[in-house]
Amino acid sequence: MPLNFDSSRFGPLEIDADAVIEFPAGLIGLGGAKYALVATDPDAPFAWLHSVEDAEIALPVTNPWLHYADYSVELSDADTERIGARNPGELDVWVTVRAASELADFSCNLRAPIVVSKGRGHQVINEAPDAPVRAPLFPEPAAVQAA
Amino acid sequence: MLIITRKPGEKIMLGDDVVVHVMEIVGNSVRVGIQAPRSLPIYREEIWDAVRKENQAAAQATPDSLPTPARPAA
Repeated sequence: MPLNFDSSRFGPLEIDADAVIEFPAGLIGLGGAKYALVATDPDAPFAWLHSVEDAEIALPVTNPWLHYADYSVELSDADTERIGARNPGELDVWVTVRAASELADFSCNLRAPIVVSKGRGHQVINEAPDAPVRAPLFPEPAAVQAA
Repeated sequence: MLIITRKPGEKIMLGDDVVVHVMEIVGNSVRVGIQAPRSLPIYREEIWDAVRKENQAAAQATPDSLPTPARPAA
């Protein structure tokens, strides 16, 4: 069953109702209970985690392993219980992206990844060492061509 | 803000479901235990604040601000 919602960035959007991700605790500082991953270009390195309740709220997200191949997420026992997934294979992990005018200033939040399991999403605190809130997204800007 | 004085071993109730247990004081640190429903996330405030700011900054992005501007699959 399709679900229609508005986006201040993209105009009216239609997604499959099954694609709605419920965030029982919202996103930290932004709230919201229902989001959807809006894929733009399938080849683009970013998707948008878009509120289906508020047309204004959307965050670019990316797959952390595209940028940090050795990235790891360690959860507290409380968070592991809250998510309720035993098998890491059942989880999708995204990190939020902070855009900037220069590629070298783009960053992603390795400290608070968004973990999605069975239609539920949780922004969790990663207990792993070396997981900064602002990790450079393009550590070697010379290797990246601006679009 | 409500200010309450507690001794080690004493507790504070937040509603019926959340217990804050003042466990011990060592030097200038207080060890606190928190019992809460598992649906309630608990954060150290400075981490919560950093993530809150980061989420709000990320939410300022527009499609044009990303390196590969793309249109949604409508």
